[in-house]
Amino acid sequence: MSELAVAAILAAAILVASTMSVEIGISVALLELGLGVVVGNAFDVSVPDWLAFVGSFAGIVLTFLAGAEVDVPQFKREWRASLSIGVVSFAAPFFVCMAFAYWALGWSGDASQIAGIALSTTSLAVVYSVLVETGLNQSVMGKRIMSATFVTDFGTAAALSILFIKPNLWILAFVAVSAALIVGLPRLSPWFFARYGNRVIEPEVKLIFAALFLLMWLGDKAHSHAVLPAFVLGLALSSHYASHRKEQERLRVVAFAFLTPFFFFKGGMSVSVSALWANLGVLALLFGAKLLPKLVGVYPLARRYCAPHAGFTSLLMSTGLTFGTISSLYGLQAGIIDETQFSLLIAVVVLSAIIPTVIAQRFLQPSAAEEARRDEQARIGELLLQREGS
Amino acid sequence: MPFEKILAAIDGSEASDRAFAKALELASLTGSTVTALAVEGPLPAYAATIGEVDEVKREKDAFFQRVLDDTREQAAAAGVQLDVQLRPGHAAELIVRIAREARVDLIVLGHKGHFLRDHLLGSTADRVAEHADCPVMIVK
Repeated sequence: MSELAVAAILAAAILVASTMSVEIGISVALLELGLGVVVGNAFDVSVPDWLAFVGSFAGIVLTFLAGAEVDVPQFKREWRASLSIGVVSFAAPFFVCMAFAYWALGWSGDASQIAGIALSTTSLAVVYSVLVETGLNQSVMGKRIMSATFVTDFGTAAALSILFIKPNLWILAFVAVSAALIVGLPRLSPWFFARYGNRVIEPEVKLIFAALFLLMWLGDKAHSHAVLPAFVLGLALSSHYASHRKEQERLRVVAFAFLTPFFFFKGGMSVSVSALWANLGVLALLFGAKLLPKLVGVYPLARRYCAPHAGFTSLLMSTGLTFGTISSLYGLQAGIIDETQFSLLIAVVVLSAIIPTVIAQRFLQPSAAEEARRDEQARIGELLLQREGS
Repeated sequence: MPFEKILAAIDGSEASDRAFAKALELASLTGSTVTALAVEGPLPAYAATIGEVDEVKREKDAFFQRVLDDTREQAAAAGVQLDVQLRPGHAAELIVRIAREARVDLIVLGHKGHFLRDHLLGSTADRVAEHADCPVMIVK
């Protein structure tokens, strides 16, 4: 099949995913992944080079956007709870899944590490959607969960960038340029955006893309991955975007219209349904290896910081999607995992986006009004204590 | 008085507009109060990016604000006392729950809403009629 034919099929499928998403209320990313599986398996279309390239860049753009969406002031206010829940939420499934893949499934050391990273993630967007939909994003508990998710994502990005480094001299340039961009861009952007922004030619979007391509190139030369600096760069620019929503909006439009569909389609097209069918037992075990350590690890901390909704918190921290897909695709593209391992990891990632969310919403969803009352009582308690103290 | 409190579920669709007009007509005849409940409906489930969620939320907020402003104008013109609520969540569940909590005497809603899922999975009206504790008027 010619490249143009593949592009035409993908463009039609991307359009179908977008319209279906609006009609049935399922995220476009999940539908793109699903339709990617259909296109890749039913039409026997393999991933062309241009799609692999655009998809890789889209993964980095998604990582940058995830960093830019972090509410830093909120994290600073809730850092103690967020740090402890977030670190355990990353570390527990990371070590358990890695050990399970290595010893129980006989995967290579590197492939096991990819399994650990891909299945350690928590989906910021899935969590955010549930919290906003229920109004719980305004509660202290909701804010703690959101901030903890950021910590888990940071752990995933760091592990992906650090674990597979094969150091050479380029690492110095990679680190130096990453640091220069992370420190320099937030200082440069107010002037640059004011002078060149707000035009249809979008110089501010091009500035970000140039920075991300530079990071990808240097990361590749250094045998590392640009995911960590891209995430931190987004984080460094999050305050700027918080006060310039239109700029963030335009970047999202470019990313969602053209880039991210190719990322999720590439992921879906690389999934082998026959490999999944032949390994349903392994799929179930990997799903358990992700969920159990998340639940067991997070639950005690959630009882302390998000009481009385520890079950709800633990389930939300068990969701995953974007970073899990990014990690798995990195493993596949770098030749660390094979098609079957990739298919299993993506399937577990997608299941973890759906099953814990459904259980949390259906059976354990707290009332936003009740949480607002609880927060108000806690504030009054604190004020009384301060008054007594003074 | 047969209906002291009427809950009208609104979503900006033509069917919901007709249902709200009937609720006002009934309220002005019986002297009932009307609560207009707009349910924003679920945000994109299992989203991959916050941007996708934010955009839908913003769109829904703006759309329902316009819908609620219209209902206020219509109620004022009909001389009916109106309470307005905008809630996020699943329409059928929320309509039944709020009707139960507020102990309303009648729920009025349109027979179909905006979305394809209303046609695929059975409409909100069907589910409310099945689960509500009070009489339900479905307006075609």
